Amino acid sequence: MKRSQATSADRWLIVVFLAPTTAFMVLLLWYPFLQGVWMSLFRWPFLGTPEWRGVQNYVDFMAADYFWVALKSTFIYSLSTLFQLGLALTAALVLNQPFIRLQNLWRGVMLMAYAMPPVVVGAIWLFLLDPGLGMVTHYLLAWGIIAEPIYWFSDGVWARWVITLVATWTFWPFMFLILLSALQAIPGSLYELGEIYGANLWQRFIHITLPHIKGAILVVVILRLAFNLAKIEQPFQLTGGGPGYETSILSVLVYRFAFMSGDFGMAFTVGIFLVVFTSVLIFPFAYLYQRQFKPTL
Amino acid sequence: MALRDDRSTPTQRFVTYAALTLLLSQVMIPFGYVFVTAFKTPGEVFEVTWLPEEWSLEAWRDVFVVNEFHINLYNSLIAGIGSAVLALLISVPGAYVFARKRFPGREILFYLIVGTLIFPFILLIVPITITWIQVGLYNTIVGLWLAFQIFAVPYSIWILRGYFARLPRSLEECAMVYGCTQFQAFYKVILPQAKPVIISVMFLSFLLGWNDFLFSNMLTTGDGPRTASVAIYVASAGGERIEWEVMMVMTLITGIPPVILYILAQKHLSKTFSV
Amino acid sequence: MNAANAGIRVNHLQKTFQQGRVRACRDVNLAIAPGELLVLLGPSGCGKTTTLRCIAGLERPDNDDAIWVGEQNITGMQPKDRNLAFVFQDTALFPHLNARKNISFGLNMRKTFPAAEIRRKVEATAKMLRVDHLLERKPSQLSGGQAQRISLGRAIVMEPAAFLLDEPLASLDAALRVEMRAEIKQIQRKLNTTMIFVTHDQEEALSLGDQIAVMNEGVVLQVGSPASIYLKPANLFVARFIGSPPVNQFECELVQDGGGYGLRCAWFEVSLGAEAATLIDAVGGKVTLGVRPEFISIGSEGGDIEGRVTLVEMLGSRSVILIEAQGREIRVSTQGGTTVKEGDPVQLTLTMDRAFFFAPDGRALVG
Ligand SMILES: Nc1ncnc2c1ncn2[C@@H]1O[C@H](COP(=O)(O)OP(=O)(O)O)[C@@H](O)[C@H]1O
Ligand SMILES: [Mg+2]
Repeated sequence: MKRSQATSADRWLIVVFLAPTTAFMVLLLWYPFLQGVWMSLFRWPFLGTPEWRGVQNYVDFMAADYFWVALKSTFIYSLSTLFQLGLALTAALVLNQPFIRLQNLWRGVMLMAYAMPPVVVGAIWLFLLDPGLGMVTHYLLAWGIIAEPIYWFSDGVWARWVITLVATWTFWPFMFLILLSALQAIPGSLYELGEIYGANLWQRFIHITLPHIKGAILVVVILRLAFNLAKIEQPFQLTGGGPGYETSILSVLVYRFAFMSGDFGMAFTVGIFLVVFTSVLIFPFAYLYQRQFKPTL
Repeated sequence: MALRDDRSTPTQRFVTYAALTLLLSQVMIPFGYVFVTAFKTPGEVFEVTWLPEEWSLEAWRDVFVVNEFHINLYNSLIAGIGSAVLALLISVPGAYVFARKRFPGREILFYLIVGTLIFPFILLIVPITITWIQVGLYNTIVGLWLAFQIFAVPYSIWILRGYFARLPRSLEECAMVYGCTQFQAFYKVILPQAKPVIISVMFLSFLLGWNDFLFSNMLTTGDGPRTASVAIYVASAGGERIEWEVMMVMTLITGIPPVILYILAQKHLSKTFSV
Repeated sequence: MNAANAGIRVNHLQKTFQQGRVRACRDVNLAIAPGELLVLLGPSGCGKTTTLRCIAGLERPDNDDAIWVGEQNITGMQPKDRNLAFVFQDTALFPHLNARKNISFGLNMRKTFPAAEIRRKVEATAKMLRVDHLLERKPSQLSGGQAQRISLGRAIVMEPAAFLLDEPLASLDAALRVEMRAEIKQIQRKLNTTMIFVTHDQEEALSLGDQIAVMNEGVVLQVGSPASIYLKPANLFVARFIGSPPVNQFECELVQDGGGYGLRCAWFEVSLGAEAATLIDAVGGKVTLGVRPEFISIGSEGGDIEGRVTLVEMLGSRSVILIEAQGREIRVSTQGGTTVKEGDPVQLTLTMDRAFFFAPDGRALVG
């Protein structure tokens, strides 16, 4: 006789426990998402009457002169993930050295920027990079590195890198914390074994450290790629997406269309591009992770 | 943590300490300067000095008296607490079932929820704003709490499920043999075991509310529950002369509590994330 | 079914996993009398744990009339309503509760006794298990043996209809294992409560059980007293699984020599009684001969088999001698010490009236 694994008491628990999660998922995630996809087929002015456009929003967006500008900025902005990984890995390896004292204190200091609201960090850099009274400009001038103040936020080339680097400075501790836990979980006996068999520092890193933290690296890269592309507060605060569209990464563009031009249909169209862009960037890492670790439920 | 004997060479130590110094200074120098600025007078802000002529508390007074920043801080606090409570209520039961029970559609449901972690949730701001206006959640604290869940719930379910799945199954089974129903086994045995992860989830979703700018900005107006983040944004986009010393006080007041919370929660966080 | 002392019956229990792809229990039949201690013995993966979990209600059997307590079919009942106490191999002590609260957990859930009474029962149980000084400790502060005692206490204090123990001693060190198994048996005798004890250790099973049920591949092969399981195995698997060092095995054929009968085995021949010969003849004349190591005696001349000593293991009260004969290894066990040395040529004599004969399908031939 065939029978499902769950008893009736089991079934009740499953239903009751899943209810809030499922309700949340439908009402707050998937319904709005599908609603948005629907909206992207319209000219949908804020509080006005929608007008059917079919795929015209998509066609218009890809033909717009800012399309490639936006894609380029988005790509540069996503490089931030790489820079974050570099900083995070270095810091995690440094703090994992057994001879470092006050490890907890240094870890606390390092995660400061990440713990704070991004807008707070944005405000700080707005101040530090201010062309008139900012500390950075002041020292660069004083040391003769630059001859006249640079307008970091309104010079197209600089602005792009400024938002990327500020994002790096803000978010690298996320990776750092997770990588440090991964490092600390490696049994010390493995390193001793490595030494007994004559592995040098580099070999120990390649053959012992790296394989143990590979999963953690892939996970943080995937998460940070996605999170970074969705975080708009800092670009929005520092440059407002300008000058022109130079720093209008896709998420900022969503915002500009929605709340500055009041064109919700177009905003969601850009949003769909953002989903596709994020998925394409994430795919190789997700594939590697899936293949190597075969996460199962 | 793996305790290892230290057999480092002097070169190794030198390089490590040099790297540590660099890493710490890139954090400490900017924050140090922010700290100093918060105690300058408006006139002195324009000079790049590391020691104010006189340590002034004027900006600290202005923040509360002129800007009434405590109202924003209070809003942030409520936003954070509500976000944390709601995230727990929605995700703990769900995550438990995903970790422990088998039912048809389990995998697809789980991926439909956790997959949204990589969702650019700025995307949902458009339909959410419209819906909130229609159903009267716009410009309310409840509206904010709910909106935060868009990110808080998938993240929490992901963390919680991993933790629940690592607890030995025999604990619940044992509880059930010794007289518990399924539900009693969950709250008498599993929940107490899950203390670190529950604290982590509360902490992370509190921070989500406290730190959020996007939803707080979009879903509230000046006379609604404006949080500190939004107030700082508004002050920094002020247009006319920005009062930097006041701003730096605001950033300190808003930025330090999460750091302290992080340090307090660290013990639980590392248990949660020791995957 | 709250009768303090219930018999348990497992009736054609079947349990499959993964949509029938894994058959953990094919057809398990057991009857445990009230107050009896039954040991469920079998190699790892044979379905012992699954059987026990079905009895406890932690798994739902495939058939609806599989588990009976007394006259009641409890197959569909919730675990909490069965009044059976389960002891897990990993102890499953609740880490957030101290030993006292772990022991009282079930009584607190049941709410039949006032707090003072529960306290008294917990302390009496702890005293019996000699852990009364550990009651305030958390599980993380207990050693393996202490933790398992607390976990036993949690079961005992319930005064259940039966105890179900799943390899409770497997993770303890050898000395402690021997000590605790004696203790468990004494407690069971004292409480006179039905107990099913699961183990894969045949020595533990022999020392502990009133009855032993030997399982393999989801089926109970034989149930009987330790002596009958040891001396009258129902089949080749049971004969090989029980006993250390294991039984000696030879493939043989029935021959008629002169007036009597004999068995021609590989390179030697032994004579056989008429009764055994009839049995063997009935299955076609080919059998596996099994002789336990203690039923082979060593001499210097006139034996059935010639061989050379390769190893002598002195195990205190007895010695195990390995002998090589025609490229085969034969195990012999003697009481006390022995005078033979490695390299000695020896003659072995088989005690044929204690030997086992197994038909080609593994079934034991008994008259
Ligand atoms: N929950 C399960 N899912 C799938 N297979 C299982 C499950 N539990 C047990 N099995 C399988 O059933 C068989 C019997 O397992 P078990 O009862 O644990 O054996 P034992 O306790 O005798 O070592 C094994 O092959 C095991 O892999
Ligand atoms: Mg088992």
